[in-house]
Amino acid sequence: MSKPEQSEGDRSRDQLLAGEYVLGVLPEADRRKVEARMIKDRAFAAMVASWQENLSGFDADYEEQAPPSRTYSRIEARLFPARTFQQQLLSSGGWWNSLALWRGLAIASFATLVTYVSFQSGWIGEEPSSRTLVAQLSGDSNAALGLMARYDTGSGLLQLMPVAAKADDARSLQLWLVPDGGDAPVSLGILPQTGEGAVDIPADLRPRLRDGVTFAVSLEPFGGSPTGLPTGPVIASGKAQGI
Amino acid sequence: MAPESDIAALLGRVALRDRAAFAELYSQVSPKLFSVCLRILKDRGEAEDALQEVFVKIWQRAGRFAAAGNSVVAWLVTIARNHSIDVLRARRPVGESRDDDWQIADPAPDPEHEAVLKWEGKRIDRCMEELDPDRAGAVRSAYVEGLTYQELAERHAVPINTMRTWLRRSLLKLRECLDR
Repeated sequence: MSKPEQSEGDRSRDQLLAGEYVLGVLPEADRRKVEARMIKDRAFAAMVASWQENLSGFDADYEEQAPPSRTYSRIEARLFPARTFQQQLLSSGGWWNSLALWRGLAIASFATLVTYVSFQSGWIGEEPSSRTLVAQLSGDSNAALGLMARYDTGSGLLQLMPVAAKADDARSLQLWLVPDGGDAPVSLGILPQTGEGAVDIPADLRPRLRDGVTFAVSLEPFGGSPTGLPTGPVIASGKAQGI
Repeated sequence: MAPESDIAALLGRVALRDRAAFAELYSQVSPKLFSVCLRILKDRGEAEDALQEVFVKIWQRAGRFAAAGNSVVAWLVTIARNHSIDVLRARRPVGESRDDDWQIADPAPDPEHEAVLKWEGKRIDRCMEELDPDRAGAVRSAYVEGLTYQELAERHAVPINTMRTWLRRSLLKLRECLDR
């Protein structure tokens, strides 16, 4: 380990080990040892980082070569397996724990705050213990990102969801009716981009709005889901209940 | 490939779980990263599998990229190189253990100077010119193709210990030159 009185020989040895690791000549077991040490020994990790940066000049030797066209869909299948809508509703979102999210929040200067009153309050009954507020936070017009905030009054949890805010890739919030019994969600319409999120429910769907159904809002491409089913993350959901 | 700053912006959006940005990042950098996998693994099937793993890692680790002063493309290439080299080493265990041949004179013993990290990757080209062409070639192909000491020794027709000494001396010379 790196000590203040570390000898020149040790430093030299560490520099070589770091360089050999970055070159890639080490056997597998030694690679794992080097990586374990990088975690605990910051001075050593800095040596590795320095070699990495220096030797990256060789990256020019990698001439671009298109991968097979099927590769991306395989990656998508690995990362985004088709989940049932119920699972999506249950997932609380790993993004909440994302350091990058908080870093992004700190970097962006948010100028405006537009608050939606959630769809549950008002026109349909909802447990008073879990009222949800949704807010869109956006910066200056050049900012690539905005944030969607979701606050649950019951749990006291404020969740934030990144939203692409550029005009050319704006998103829409789409409201869904999730029937009991696992049937496919039905679109109830697109929420307004600003202001209060009131939606006029199509007459033929009105009989289906009753106790026990679940409402959900998902983030979709501008104009709504292209498939007729939710494609983006669900940012709010709740069960309807008579009062 | 798009300019470095555009790639960095895409990676930032990927860190925020933006799938559209991920698709765009893939179209921008996959030819470069596929080339890395192919050059090291030398097999299209394996390289394609490796590329999948690499992009899974990029999706998972996008938030760890620290933009300040670092090249985002170099960071992405590092993920691809490390993964490909790991696949290669797992495929061909080389029974080659580290020796204790560390008695090589260190031409760069100034700790304060050493503490100042040098980030200009371009300097490597100038420093490579100070090495014998043979040894510079060995260093470069070790990096670009992920060769082991054994493979480098065979390619240059020298004993493995000679190759080990070549590369270690070259690394120390490079370090000294880069820190200069």
